Amino acid sequence: MSNDLIIKVDNVHVSFWQNNLGIYTLKDLIAQRKLPFKSKTILNNISVEVKRGDSLGIVGRNGSGKSTLLRTIAGIIKPDRGTVIVNGTFAPILAIGAGLESELTGYENIKLLLALYGTARKNTNAIDNVREFSELSDDVLRSPVKQYSSGMLARLAFSISLANDSDILIIDEVMAVGDQGFQGKCVKKIYDMKEQGKTILYVSHFPDDVARICNKAVLLEGGEVVHSGDSQEICQKYSNLF
Amino acid sequence: MGFFWGFIKPLLYLLIFIVIFGENLGIPNYPLFATSGLIFWFFFSNVTGQAIGSVVGSAGLLKSLNIPAYFFPLSETISELFNFLLSLIVFFVAMRWFGMVYDLKLLLVIPCIFLFAIFSLGLNLFLCSINVFFKDIGIIWGTIQPALFFLTPIAYKEQYIVQKYKAIIEYNPIYQFIKLGRSILYEPTLPPAHQWTVCISIAVITYVVGHFVFYRLKNQFISAI
Repeated sequence: MSNDLIIKVDNVHVSFWQNNLGIYTLKDLIAQRKLPFKSKTILNNISVEVKRGDSLGIVGRNGSGKSTLLRTIAGIIKPDRGTVIVNGTFAPILAIGAGLESELTGYENIKLLLALYGTARKNTNAIDNVREFSELSDDVLRSPVKQYSSGMLARLAFSISLANDSDILIIDEVMAVGDQGFQGKCVKKIYDMKEQGKTILYVSHFPDDVARICNKAVLLEGGEVVHSGDSQEICQKYSNLF
Repeated sequence: MGFFWGFIKPLLYLLIFIVIFGENLGIPNYPLFATSGLIFWFFFSNVTGQAIGSVVGSAGLLKSLNIPAYFFPLSETISELFNFLLSLIVFFVAMRWFGMVYDLKLLLVIPCIFLFAIFSLGLNLFLCSINVFFKDIGIIWGTIQPALFFLTPIAYKEQYIVQKYKAIIEYNPIYQFIKLGRSILYEPTLPPAHQWTVCISIAVITYVVGHFVFYRLKNQFISAI
């Protein structure tokens, strides 16, 4: 593997058990007497390479496997076949709301996620940085996350991802729900990160954003990479799908 | 559950046991006898109760960070073990008034609870991974627990069970640990070697089965929680 490759995904195949009989309790299982699990392929023979400093956009319809691909790259999902090699550190993937514990307050979530990533010990200002960037007030951060609006969740989630000084930044549709001011701020921050030479993986349903932020992109369809290459070109193909 | 509430429940049970059985079962030092069983039972009951939902309850973290799912049942088990050791101190002090003999052999309770914790961890691994797919495991477990409690000789001696139902007691793995613990804390003599062998075997087998089931299922957790 050459040195400038930060992520190398090679022939990755991911499948999950799909429960399509709606049997979610032991009671139903005994009543219906059949196992509800069927293996379903989510990602099929995916190969993606990302160079250090690149920003890769991932586009595709709902359910085409974008989030699964991100999670596989981050090591959260183990592929059935194929290999994933990553030469860098990740910030937590915080899709809208997911990843934040709803019963905990904003502050507790920040502390928890920073502690799990070891950032809190290295950087004592990390909590302040998160508060500043998210523009959430002290009162808001003291209340449980379950009371947040989706925009507030997105602010918190994105700010926590940024506070972890990691090599690879993963953004999963997090910006879609922020207000204009925050979106602008995020885009500016992403450009800053790019300039610092960070690698960015960006999932979005807005081809214009992807074309603007990313230099490379892949188009997923039915769990396969159908096109990959220059982001402008891929986004054009994505737009033509509809 | 917290240290304080962890005390109230066994204490309440102990008081009820003393009122009902204290005088008429003819067991000397009855409070010591009952408590030596109760502390083990409540460790077991708390640790399984906490751990069953541990994987499902950590869905957010598991979906966004690369942390092993194994940590969640493990941390619940360790934190309950810690609570148990704290309550043991209170137990040692309080039981002075109920005829406990301080002796070096009491230290054997440490390997005993360690074996019980391994058994419980094995069971927890099994229960929490099955609970990902069938959401009523917690309810079912909560339903069979009282039955298990009364079928385990905690308030009474195993001799009170008539011969034809003896098998229920003999094949009850929880009682094997309570028997070992009780012979350390209550009986004047050392626990027999075969009791250790029985407990070590139960702990190892349960852990291996739980570990196997958990590792077979863990790759499916992300999509199911």
